[in-house]
Amino acid sequence: MILRVLDPTNERKAAGGEPAPRPASLKGKTIGFISNGKEGTAGFFAHLDRMLRDEFGVADVVFRRKANYSAPAAAAIVDEIKNWQAVVTGVGD
Amino acid sequence: MPVQLTSKLYDVDDFAAAQEFYHANGWTDGLPVVPPTPAAVEACLDWALMPPDQLIGIEPVRSQPITAEKLAINAVMAGCLPMHFPIVATAWQALMKEEFLLHGVTSSTGGAALLVIINGPIRLEIGASSTFNALANSDRATAAIGRAMRLALINLLDARPGGIDRSTLGHPGKFSYCVAEDEEDTAWQPLSVARGIPEGVSAVTVMGAMAPRQIMNEWTKDPREILETFAAEMRANQRHYSIYGGNYAIVIPKQLREPIQDAGWTKRDIAEFIHERARIRRAEWAEVGKGAVVRDRGETVHTALESPDHLLVIAAGGPAGGFGAVIAPWFGSKTKAVTAAIGACVDCEPPKR
Repeated sequence: MILRVLDPTNERKAAGGEPAPRPASLKGKTIGFISNGKEGTAGFFAHLDRMLRDEFGVADVVFRRKANYSAPAAAAIVDEIKNWQAVVTGVGD
Repeated sequence: MPVQLTSKLYDVDDFAAAQEFYHANGWTDGLPVVPPTPAAVEACLDWALMPPDQLIGIEPVRSQPITAEKLAINAVMAGCLPMHFPIVATAWQALMKEEFLLHGVTSSTGGAALLVIINGPIRLEIGASSTFNALANSDRATAAIGRAMRLALINLLDARPGGIDRSTLGHPGKFSYCVAEDEEDTAWQPLSVARGIPEGVSAVTVMGAMAPRQIMNEWTKDPREILETFAAEMRANQRHYSIYGGNYAIVIPKQLREPIQDAGWTKRDIAEFIHERARIRRAEWAEVGKGAVVRDRGETVHTALESPDHLLVIAAGGPAGGFGAVIAPWFGSKTKAVTAAIGACVDCEPPKR
């Protein structure tokens, strides 16, 4: 006997944007950091800041910290992204 | 106009093949599932008077719409009967409220589960048990409803371990975590009424919840002494897990409720007492190995409850035993418990097929 069963997943994908085009080079660019604010991220971002400036010729690094590490970044931070050529964000503990 | 299910259909050879098919696709919690046939899913939707495309809500962070059909498929897989489905649907409406912060609860390394607390007449209709083993496998209804919440998270929001779900440990409540309050054997106001739902209306409360921490005190009838044991467990949680205040739940069984009730204490009195007692100085973190984050704020007092209103007092448990439980929130007030009435559409006709 064949059993006919249904797909339990959300086949309808969430409305979302496409990733922005990747920059060919970081030289002379402004890079934004959005930290989740956890203790362990300070050292990571400080190191990345140095590396981007010294090894990749990045012109400027803008550091922003989320108020709540478990929630999306505030609208004011998201608004700033348009002024940057690349963003580094993610989970840090 | 007939309303059709729109989910993709698959043909499998038999029950065993269905199990392998669902497991292989990552669509389970590791346990066997009830194959969600169109007839079983339609029965859930009919019972709740919901067309398949009814929007239960939109997950606010990822803008993911959740429809009644998809939720019903997962409810069937979890073992829900049609009469359980309105509770699952209402609980999902509640947890998609902004203040619940579902994405954080689900994805955090912190390891929280979704606790569902059921109040009102629907508990009796579905045969939920609030006594023996109340927080565990007490009955079919709460077991299946709690499991449906997790299966839907896995399948509708991709909350798979290592995917969206980044829990370091998690806890067993992530399989199923649902309790019905014992409203018959207490003089206290039901939790839902304390949270603004009219008396006699069925409701669910959802909470981003850690594992239950059991306490025991069988050696006093003094409400203050009994509740001091609960407060001490909350202080322990503040020291060992998270210091920040939020929606804690406490579960009080009959043996501990009776002396508190007999002394004339209401749930409000309990909450006010606990609010005063469940608090620690930040300096205490240094005693449990967390001195590095005390800094110059050692004398700052952190309350487990930001206000007495934040305590969820639940009457439940077997008739004997002085065992209660403290259920801590996932990281303080980042998530708020949400209570919602289970809707009854008095003028609606079931959708025609």
